[in-house]
Amino acid sequence: MPPTSPHDGSADPLGDLHDALLAWLPGQRWFPAKGRQIAGLRTVGHSVVSAPGDTPTVEHAVIAVSFTDAAGGSAEERYQLLLGAQSSPPGDLEHAVIGRRRSSHGGDDVVYDGLADGRISRLLLALITENATRGPLRFVAEPDTEAPIVGPGRPLFGEQSNSSVIYGERAILKLFRRATAGLNPDLELHRALRREGSDEVAPLLGAIEGELPGESGGVEAMTVAMLQGFAANSADGWSMALTSVRDLLAEADLRADEVGGDFAGEAHRIGKTVAAVHQELAHALGTRPLDAVGARAVEEWMLERLDRAAAAVEGVAEQREEIAAVLHGVTEAGPSTVQRIHGDLHLGQELRTPTGWLVIDFEGEPSKPLADRVRPDSPMRDVAAMLRSFDYAAFHQLAEWEQSADEPDPQLERRAQEWADRNRSAFCDGYAEVAGTDPRENPELLRAYELDKAVYEVLYETRNRPGWVSIPLRSMRRLLTGVGRAER
Amino acid sequence: MNEGVSAGAVTPAHVSTAATGENDVARDHVRDHTDDHGAHAVEEPSAADFRHARTLPVEQDWYKRAVFYEVLVRAFADSNRDGFGDLRGLTDKLDYLAWLGVDCLWLPPFYDSPLRDGGYDIRDYRKVLPEFGTVADFVEFIDQAHARGIRVITDLVMNHTSDQHHWFQESRRDPEGPYGDFYVWSDDDTRWSEARIIFVDTESSNWTYDSVRGQFYWHRFFSHQPDLNFDNPAVCEAMIDALRFWLDLGIDGFRLDAVPYLYERDGTNGENLPETHQFLKRVRKVVDDEYPGRVLLAEANQWPSDVVEYFGDPEVGGDECHMAFHFPLMPRIFMAVRRESRFPISEILAQTPEIPSNAQWGIFLRNHDELTLEMVTDDERDYMYAEYAKDPRMKANIGIRRRLAPLLDNDRNQLELFTALLLSLPGSPVLYYGDEIGMGDNIWLGDRDGVRSPMQWTPDRNAGFSTCDPGRLNLPVIMDPVYGYQAVNVEAQSNSTASLLHWNRRMIDIRKQHPAFALGTFHELGGSNPSVLAYVREHTGEEGTQDIVLCVNNMSRFPQPVELDLIAWKDWVPTELTGGVPFPPIGELPYLLTLPGHGFYWFSIHPAEER
Repeated sequence: MPPTSPHDGSADPLGDLHDALLAWLPGQRWFPAKGRQIAGLRTVGHSVVSAPGDTPTVEHAVIAVSFTDAAGGSAEERYQLLLGAQSSPPGDLEHAVIGRRRSSHGGDDVVYDGLADGRISRLLLALITENATRGPLRFVAEPDTEAPIVGPGRPLFGEQSNSSVIYGERAILKLFRRATAGLNPDLELHRALRREGSDEVAPLLGAIEGELPGESGGVEAMTVAMLQGFAANSADGWSMALTSVRDLLAEADLRADEVGGDFAGEAHRIGKTVAAVHQELAHALGTRPLDAVGARAVEEWMLERLDRAAAAVEGVAEQREEIAAVLHGVTEAGPSTVQRIHGDLHLGQELRTPTGWLVIDFEGEPSKPLADRVRPDSPMRDVAAMLRSFDYAAFHQLAEWEQSADEPDPQLERRAQEWADRNRSAFCDGYAEVAGTDPRENPELLRAYELDKAVYEVLYETRNRPGWVSIPLRSMRRLLTGVGRAER
Repeated sequence: MNEGVSAGAVTPAHVSTAATGENDVARDHVRDHTDDHGAHAVEEPSAADFRHARTLPVEQDWYKRAVFYEVLVRAFADSNRDGFGDLRGLTDKLDYLAWLGVDCLWLPPFYDSPLRDGGYDIRDYRKVLPEFGTVADFVEFIDQAHARGIRVITDLVMNHTSDQHHWFQESRRDPEGPYGDFYVWSDDDTRWSEARIIFVDTESSNWTYDSVRGQFYWHRFFSHQPDLNFDNPAVCEAMIDALRFWLDLGIDGFRLDAVPYLYERDGTNGENLPETHQFLKRVRKVVDDEYPGRVLLAEANQWPSDVVEYFGDPEVGGDECHMAFHFPLMPRIFMAVRRESRFPISEILAQTPEIPSNAQWGIFLRNHDELTLEMVTDDERDYMYAEYAKDPRMKANIGIRRRLAPLLDNDRNQLELFTALLLSLPGSPVLYYGDEIGMGDNIWLGDRDGVRSPMQWTPDRNAGFSTCDPGRLNLPVIMDPVYGYQAVNVEAQSNSTASLLHWNRRMIDIRKQHPAFALGTFHELGGSNPSVLAYVREHTGEEGTQDIVLCVNNMSRFPQPVELDLIAWKDWVPTELTGGVPFPPIGELPYLLTLPGHGFYWFSIHPAEER
């Protein structure tokens, strides 16, 4: 269909704006435009949030964007917009302007990204504290939340897949850009963890929930946005780990446990934090045993992923049999327990605050369908993901250097490996301290999950960041030879 | 009990009138004589016996604005060639201290003492250690300091005395006499076993048996420092009168040493007891009523959440000590830089409670003691040892005995960063003598003497500290090729405006131009880069004038970018404070700054049209 035509005969409420949106979308960080051709755009949901006669007009919309990919196929993805409209908005909103459209009262309205407007973020917050309903949107405050926080909010810069506004360093409202039917696991798990009184996540304060027209008629529930406490003065674990590695690599003659920037204390605390989250999730949402059939299903799923990687990457194809043998560890390990887990854990999903560590973003691996993301899984998957993340942190800088150098420096490689081993080990120690069981006591299972993740990373990096593919490839080799694993 | 106590023993008797050094000596002689004959009451001099120093105008919050400078009389300047620094020598150097810009000198104890604990073992509260001079010298020193607008505070040890103090000698000799109940005596050594032993290196018990009296006496510190019995009202009176003696002479306040331990109670660890706070409130009232503008500074090496108790009731703005040292901050600064992470500092500041409106923290990088590691966890202590005390001789008790410059490998960038933190974090900064020129230490000297070597004034004999025969020096001057007096001295650094000394002087001056550094609120900005510590100090003056200072510190040795959320000051302009260069105005986006390794910025933030 032509890019600007409404999906049915009726007038598209954003009809005037289609051209402007098509020009605006690729410039948004949350919009995955890279290497893709937009084929069309239509509005699938639209409602007015502001009261009649209020300025600016605030609108919520869900748009469906169709892409033509390189192979000639097509796909449609749905995104949420929060729009402000006013005949002449304040000058400092200029950077957020999307376009103009005819106004219902004659003249033109300027339409802009609503989250940039402090008046709009203040309205959203007020509606949440009032537990208001506006059309299909339900604004919900968590019970017993503290004294209301007041707006206006400020947009947070530099985010990737979602858009957030911060209210006076006290609360953060996250608008999920990708519109997906069903309860967003981020909201679901934060609710559960709040009931547990978790200190390991930023407390949930409220949410905006809405409806999404189903693909085949009817409507389904959808999570629009989530309001939580803001972790002021925090920094993410990835940048802190890189700081530590940088310190180490600048001291070629000192070992990982000798340099001032040692990270092991933090890795230990992260281990404790992750274990506590697992315990809280298990307590809130239950566990169940994974029988032999279930374990085989997990293995088959891993093998599928392996075959996809083998088809694309020669280095994986060559070692397919050895890899499959290690993945078999999932069924060899005997009965285990599964529960709700984080699902997409890495150092960047952990925030260091002045009082400790917080785990954030419980959405799960974004590329997976919702049903897969909410399926109970082994906590070992999260543990393995963290171990992989320490590897990434250790070798990230070397990978950057190697792209311009001919030969990797074996001395620096050894130091990086020491850093990884030391921090992986400290993480497991911390995890064991809280969980009561050490993940290294089940080496075959842990190794299978870690290798599964590494294989996935090899595929991902080959496609997206070829300069980094050496990191998971090196880990893959190591996991296959069994040298230098975290268990010792 | 002790009928004799209130009758004359505590009320100071007037023994002489003229304020001369000879009188001190004469009195000493008299006392020795009376000792031999077993007099019960000790006659003590009165402030009225001496000339009084000129006083400075009463300024209620001077201690909040002041830059303090800890100076050891013994180590600063020797006027009489006996190898010991003395009060007259110190007086001669006041012009230098005024030039540097310090507002208040803190003198560790200069009282008569057998010097078994660096003078913290006081033998006579109303007499100056003979090597340092006389009470008259002290009055002259205060007078000259005040003439330059410099205030002076000194240590006062209230918890205990030397075992050579007359009170103790009388107490052990005559249990029924006027001093029989001045100390804490017991027939056995089992009571208060919950109280920890502080000097674990040398003491095995808080009780020591005295064969003269046939009883055990209580001591929280060394066994030659018996604890005074503050349950005896006469002791409280005697202590307050000792304070009055120096306050009358013109001193501006006291650092109260070892203050948490004044009382003992069953079933407690004998620290921070309510009775101790009651006594401090009483002392504060004396100061407020009789000596307005003078201050009390608590030395309580405890967690900030416990130390705030020593400021007293926040409802009335604080009614105990005006100031207290913030002990845990200092090791955290060292950790943060070694770890290249702001969090060790952020953590401790987040744990630091609000303090009453009239209270102020005292903060420091180094002092005459070891770098104390009592207020860190075991892990952190191991880490600090590994990083900063690579030689076992660098350790003392549970701390590190080193000066600032050697601790930082004499790295000018780090020295500047540390000092910038000291001068901009919340609290009044306390500098340690010699650190302004980057003096070194001598770890081969015993105990903590390694950081108490003579001040290095010139490249001449004895570093210009003394003209005595070098062999007569109380402690040797530093002579190594890096920190020795020929390389590091005031004279050479005075002549070069690029020197550390001139840099320190400039920074002190900048700090004084902006009341926000001294009086402002503290708000950490966070920011995307964990190696960068950024904060805003904000102060609104009485006339409504606003002073806003932004400090950005790179804890890493590598250059770093940082994006700061300064939206609250949108359209305002940050002007760098050392050079006055205006930076680009603050816009809608996070404010991007790049810092060199261990670099820092101080900005004033103001509306665009100002300046």
